[in-house]
Amino acid sequence: MNNLFTIFIGMVLINNMILAKFLGLCSFFGVSKKLSDAFSMGIAVTLVLLIASISTSLIFNYILVPYELEYMNIVIYILVIASLVQIVEVIIKRTNIALYNAMGIYLPLITTNCIVMAITLLNSTEHYSVLESVVNALGAGVGYTFVIIIMSGIREKLDLADTPKSMRGLPVAFLTAALLALAFVGFNGMV
Amino acid sequence: MFKKFLSNKAYPIIFLTIIVAISVILLVVVNNITSPVVEARRMEEITGNLEKIFPDIDKYELKDEIYFVYGKDGEKIGYAFTASGSGYGGVIDILVGLNSNFEIEGVSIISQTETPGVGARITESSFTDQFKGLTINDIALKSGGGKIDAITGATISSNAVVSAIRDRMSEVLDTLESSK
Amino acid sequence: MNDCKNKNNCPQAEACNQQEQHIKSDKKSSSGFTKELVKGIITVNPVFILILGLCPVLAITNTVTNALGMSAGVIFVLLGSNIIISSIRKVTPSMVRIPVFIVVIATFVTILSLVIEAYVPALHKSLGIYLPLIVVNCIVLGRAEAFASKNPVLLSAADAIGEGIGFAIALLVISLIREIMGTGKLEIFGKQLFEVPGLSEHPLIFFISPPGAFLVIGVTMAILRLAGVMKYE
Repeated sequence: MNNLFTIFIGMVLINNMILAKFLGLCSFFGVSKKLSDAFSMGIAVTLVLLIASISTSLIFNYILVPYELEYMNIVIYILVIASLVQIVEVIIKRTNIALYNAMGIYLPLITTNCIVMAITLLNSTEHYSVLESVVNALGAGVGYTFVIIIMSGIREKLDLADTPKSMRGLPVAFLTAALLALAFVGFNGMV
Repeated sequence: MFKKFLSNKAYPIIFLTIIVAISVILLVVVNNITSPVVEARRMEEITGNLEKIFPDIDKYELKDEIYFVYGKDGEKIGYAFTASGSGYGGVIDILVGLNSNFEIEGVSIISQTETPGVGARITESSFTDQFKGLTINDIALKSGGGKIDAITGATISSNAVVSAIRDRMSEVLDTLESSK
Repeated sequence: MNDCKNKNNCPQAEACNQQEQHIKSDKKSSSGFTKELVKGIITVNPVFILILGLCPVLAITNTVTNALGMSAGVIFVLLGSNIIISSIRKVTPSMVRIPVFIVVIATFVTILSLVIEAYVPALHKSLGIYLPLIVVNCIVLGRAEAFASKNPVLLSAADAIGEGIGFAIALLVISLIREIMGTGKLEIFGKQLFEVPGLSEHPLIFFISPPGAFLVIGVTMAILRLAGVMKYE
């Protein structure tokens, strides 16, 4: 139990996917302009992360490890993730059109989002069990949502600020991320 | 004839299967070439680090993930084990040697990816030499009541090494006790 | 994967769409070997102009050695996958196009990872998870979809080398700033090239830490805009 809690907190605050490991940056800068978009993106990423982690850790623990095929994981995981995202998209489209309109456009972006691939690979390199993998994925998803929401809140205000012309848009977003990352360094050594 | 085949409904599936099959065959071949190299280098790393800790080493035996180290005249001069912890920049692999009284004979960092000039200083002898002669109860940072000075500005890396050694050492001592 | 028949429904293609638009506007110019080569390096630099493949740009630029290793890896995968995808482009059914690209790219990445682990273990260790993550690097899949699947082998190879070098230059610039400021020294593959007096005794560790990465790339982009290389929003 203690171990699961450590994995979770570590993923949310200390090894935060975006600020400490630089994963999922494209979507982080692309979708953090509006608070509502950022929230939907966060939920979508968490959802895909959970489903992908469950399926890939099952494959890893019950197929790849017994047959000593660990080195095949990159090829297998990327195919699993790509098909999963497609399936999730179709299911949401058929069952809940309102949710699809809110989240649908973010789903395709997630396959090439390195977070999903990174977490599934981390689960295998750390030899996490299925349960640990799920907790790890949940932590990563919550951490991602947390940071992208903070970021979008700041960027909404930043739009009204009088930034130098050369800094407007992405450069100042990077500087904001730098300050955020600096704040998160404070969580180091907590666990 | 060829064109007709290309427009067949099953063709996309067949094509994808062929591509996957080629990929799998290729990976199996490459892995068969590289994995012995990786294995051999790992053994070399362990041997090299064991020699650093036990200059009198003649041979060693691996049993229950513990290395039993023998000297020139065939007597047992100590034990060694590997420990790994998560530092600031990734996994730190450590080799720890124990003498026959279960005190630390020496510590050697096998591999690490800590920040150069900061956390990477865990490899320096000024840090690793502190472990010499300690028993398990002393292995903690001074702030935690132990005898190890953390590296300035690199508490996380220092702590990762210390707790990895302590955790693994207590397991190893249990195994050694029970096998007696 | 059936949706891939329609390009706009295809996840990966869409994520890398940005790049495709660039290529369309680019088509007017001549398509010679050198043109393709130069394009990726300067005018359509994947990192600074298209803002693609950011994760490795920030994550492994703490040392120049890592940046060089990563660049070599990306160039290998780009070149390999572009050549293979371009040579099978006429027999690849468009329905399973994207899965085929993914398998080809993932195969090259795995081969790269296995070879580096065996022969350059130190690099394998320090690139860590970012090495297998080349597989989801938008630059690689983007080039496969936007260029290699439509152009002959030689041009695709030129395109891969150009884009790869463009990526490498971006990594090199950022890593040079970070390593020199952050350690006061410059070390390439274990050999020390020079030391900045004063700075090496009291290095600005901030620059090699994660927040420093964000700062350096933000300021670099602003400078590129002032210099007129990068466009304003």
